[in-house]
This record gives sequence, structure tokens and C-alpha cells, in this order.
Amino acid sequence: MINRALLPAGGGENMLHCTDMTVLERQRARIKWQQEQQQQQFQLQQQEISYFTELADVFHQAGFHEGGLSEVVTRSVKPDPGLVDNGWNNDHVVGYGVGLPYNNGLGFELNYGAISRTSSCPPEAVAAVAAATVKGSESVVSDKISSGAGRESSKKRKVDKIQNNSKVVAEEDTRDKRIKGCAEQGESKITEKNNNKNSRNNNTNKNNNSNKENSDETSKDNSKVSEVQKPDYIHVRARRGQATDSHSLAERVRREKISERMKYLQDLVPGCDKITGKAGMLDEIINYVQSLQRQVEFLSMKLAAANPRLDFNVDNLFAKEAFPACSINFPTIGMSSDMTNPAYLQFNPAQQQLLACCGLDMGIDPPDMALKRTTSAPVSIPETFLDSSCFTQTHPPPTWDADLQNLYNVAFDQGRQTSFQTQPFTGDVKLSCLFLSALY
Amino acid sequence: MASKHTIATRHAQGIRARFASRFLRSLLRLRRSGNRFGGSQSNDEGIGKRIRTDRIKIAAYAAMARAVGPRRTWSRALLFKLRNRARIHGVSRKRCLVSEKKRVTRNKVVAISSREPSRADTLRKLVPGGDSMDTCVLLEETAHYIKCLATQVTVMQSIADRLLL
Repeated sequence: MINRALLPAGGGENMLHCTDMTVLERQRARIKWQQEQQQQQFQLQQQEISYFTELADVFHQAGFHEGGLSEVVTRSVKPDPGLVDNGWNNDHVVGYGVGLPYNNGLGFELNYGAISRTSSCPPEAVAAVAAATVKGSESVVSDKISSGAGRESSKKRKVDKIQNNSKVVAEEDTRDKRIKGCAEQGESKITEKNNNKNSRNNNTNKNNNSNKENSDETSKDNSKVSEVQKPDYIHVRARRGQATDSHSLAERVRREKISERMKYLQDLVPGCDKITGKAGMLDEIINYVQSLQRQVEFLSMKLAAANPRLDFNVDNLFAKEAFPACSINFPTIGMSSDMTNPAYLQFNPAQQQLLACCGLDMGIDPPDMALKRTTSAPVSIPETFLDSSCFTQTHPPPTWDADLQNLYNVAFDQGRQTSFQTQPFTGDVKLSCLFLSALY
Repeated sequence: MASKHTIATRHAQGIRARFASRFLRSLLRLRRSGNRFGGSQSNDEGIGKRIRTDRIKIAAYAAMARAVGPRRTWSRALLFKLRNRARIHGVSRKRCLVSEKKRVTRNKVVAISSREPSRADTLRKLVPGGDSMDTCVLLEETAHYIKCLATQVTVMQSIADRLLL
């Protein structure tokens, strides 16, 4: 039965050319074939197809003519025990034997059949093969679903079967990309065959089954969610052993999104490795946000406390320091854009120290730097922490103006170091001008 | 998710520089305005200090929100709140009363349907603009908000350390 299922795979495309077969039978064959395929079989088919094409060439070279081929066809036909109850195979065989449409196709199919005989499958002609596969798969399906099989099944029954099969497909988890791809092709061909009613039923059935079928080829293994190019809805596949209810599917999607975000937050919030579960995580997150906000408040208090002292300093140092500081600032910024410039290092020992510590201690977090901090809670974002810790190691110059200027420089240095972006020199100069003009 | 994280880190570093520049500028502005009104006001202990603290805090949050821009829900909500606060602050008391009344009625409505605040609700209160988000979006906004808050804290810390040392 497996080999029988193998047969039309190669002939699937060729069957298109067989005008003897009705549209219905072709469609049925295609559907049943799709539903029964396993990946290994598919691969096997591919191998066999390549093998068979070679044989087909051989046969053509041997110079078979139509009559001879028909003899081969009729001879090679053997009634399959499984097909005894269905009499239309033989009819098809005969009919097919009479009118051989294409040499290539038939030779192809013949070889397929002949060789599959050796692989312990009753050889049949294309139609018989198709019919057999249809029948075989139908019997398989009927075993599963216990619905009547038969060529005389009306369109309606076929639709029912398709619906049932789609449900079966939805409940199984062993569909994979290529099968679905073939399903897509098959379905598109079906619509091409103008069996619109069928395809429409299929589509509505799919819709009714609440996005159980995947109309998107690009996703899946046993993944649950796939984003579809169409903006209408997200197609979800039910996993094996899980409810296929539309509500539960949507719930599962929502839960997956939430858990994904929680994992991201776990990386963000320090000290959350041990905590499992949403409740604990949320508590931690809330605590962390509250602590951060408290820190902002505390730091603003600290800055407010620092302000009066600085205002006092401004009166003293304004006239004296501002102008020379201004002239000093430009070359500082100019050199700071080039990290490895030795002149920059020579210029200011404080900034040299800063550079050295930033350059060397990138991966190191010396504990003494943490002690220098006046605030308690360290924020453990690594690069920012390192940069600000480099900050504190430098000896601050005595003047307030120089302080802020250095700070400004280093702030931009930090930005440049961590992001490895070289801000344009003109931009720096402009900003520093802005900064300095604000001082006056 | 890895790509998302790298994009996020790049944003964080950009945000850091932007926030630092804005905050420093607003600090200078505050100092200048404090200077203009004379030393007495800002040198007052007690109320003056609190006012200054609040101003600096607001300046910090405003700088952060502007550095992020209107891309995020929480930054939009924060900017909106700050603008409203500025408006209410500068406008006559009548409007203040009106807004107070509105707030009172809203609280009453909330009291009727009150239940024990779940964790998500607490988080909503913490994150600006969190009321109008469902849980999924709330977590995403919280993540970005946490990152920006952390950069804000480090920049402010470094500024304070530099200025006070």
C-alpha cells in the first residue's frame, strides 16, 4: 500500500497530461496522495523519480511503440487484492491501455510500475495507479473514519471526506513543510481545475476549523504560531495532544507571547535567574521599577543639593575660567574623537586615566570603584556600569567649569566608546559651543 | 529575539547620549534660572530644596521622554502628563479646581469597582501610560521603560559623582 502510494507521486504531474482521467479522479488522487505522504516516502519518491527518468530514457531509446507499450501495460496489470472490491481499476486499465496519450508520460509511469513491481508492489498503469492510490488511500481513510469508499461517491461525499480528512490532518502532528507545500500546490491545482465548490468548501472548512490548517508554507515544524503575510489573522497549528478549540488556541498564543516577554524581562532585571513563575517575576519587576524610580528621586535630590555650591562657584570662576576653558575645550573634543591619539593622552592626565581605565578595564569591574559610589544600589547593566565606573576613577579638576566640560566630554566619549560610532567632529564642536554658550 | 536584543542595546546607547545631552542642558537652564531669581530662593532649605528636587526630577524625566521620542507608549504618556502638569501649573487656580473635581469623581468610580490590586495593576501604575495597555503590551513597555530608567540612573549618578567630588 505504501508503494502504491508512491506511484502517483512521480506521476502526479504527469497525470495532468492524462486526459483520460476525469477531473474528479485526478483531484481525488491528488488529495489522497497528499494526505498519505510521509516525508521519507517523498524523499524516496524523489530518488526513484530520478532513477526512473533514467530508465525512461533507456526505454525510449529501445524504441517502444504505442502498441508494444499497451501490451506491457495490460500485461503488467495485476489485480490487487485490496482492490478487488473496486472494479473500476480494471476499467481504467483497459481504457488507459487503449489510448496512450504521451510516450514520455506512459514510459515514465510504466517504469515506475515495472520497478515498483520488483519492489513488491503490484504494477499498474497510470490510471490504475491513480485509481489504486485513490482507492487505497480511500480505504485507509475509511478505516480511520469508517466512511464509505467508492468511485460512485458523489461530490458531496467527497467534500465530507475532505472535511473529515482535514480534521484528521489537524489532529495529527506529522505534517511538514514539503507536504504542506504539495498540499498548497495541490489545492491550487484543484482550484485551477475549476472545482470551485470543492475548494471553497475546503477553504470555508479551514476557516471554520479556526485556523487549524496552515495556509502559510513558510513556518513550521511543530511550532504553534505563524505570522501570515495576510493581515487578517494569525494561523496557529494545534500541537499534538492539545485542544484544538479556537479559544484555547488563541489563549495559547497569548500565553506564549507573555512568557516570551517575561523571559526577556528576566534578562533585564538583575537577580531573576532563580525565580520561576510569573507571579514572582512580576513582583521582582515591580520592585526593580520602584527602586529605579526611588534612585532617580534620590539622585535629583543630590543634584539639587549640589546646585547651590556650584552657583556660588560660578560667580567666582565665571569670568576667569570660562574663556580659557573655552579655548581648551575645542582641542580636547577634537582629540577625543580619535581614541588612540597620544596627544590626547598627554593633554590631560585625568582624561588619560579615564581612557586607560576604559580601555583596559572593559571587562573588569574593580570593587573599589563601587565603594566610591555614594548611592547604594548598583545598576548592573555591564557596559554602562563600566563606563560610569571609569568615570569615577579620574581625578576631577578643581574648577567647576572644567568639571562640567570634562563631564560633557566623557559623556560623549562614553557614547562613542560603547556604541563605536564616531560622531562627526563638527557635531561635537557645535554641541560644545552650545554647552559653553549656555554657561554665559 | 537575539536581533531584537541587539537593536535594543543599540537604542540604549543612543538613548544614553541623547538623554545625557538633554539632561545637562536642562540642568544648566535650571541653574541659570535659579541664578536669575537671586541666590536666596534656591538657597532656601526645606521648601526650596524640595522645589529644586522636583524640578530636577521633572527635568530628568522630560529629558528621557524626549530622548526616546514618541515611539513608545510610555514616553508619549509621560510627555503628555508633563505638558499637562506644566499647563496646570502655569494656569489660574480655577482650572486646577476643575481638574481636581474630575480626579475625585474618577477615584470614586474606581472605589466602587475596587478589588485587591493585582500585580499587573501595580505595574500599570508604575509605568507611565500603563492603564491603557493589555498585559502583553504592558510587559513590552515595561522592558523598554526599565532599560531607559537604568540609563537615566547611571547618567545622573555619574553627573552627581562628578559634580560633588
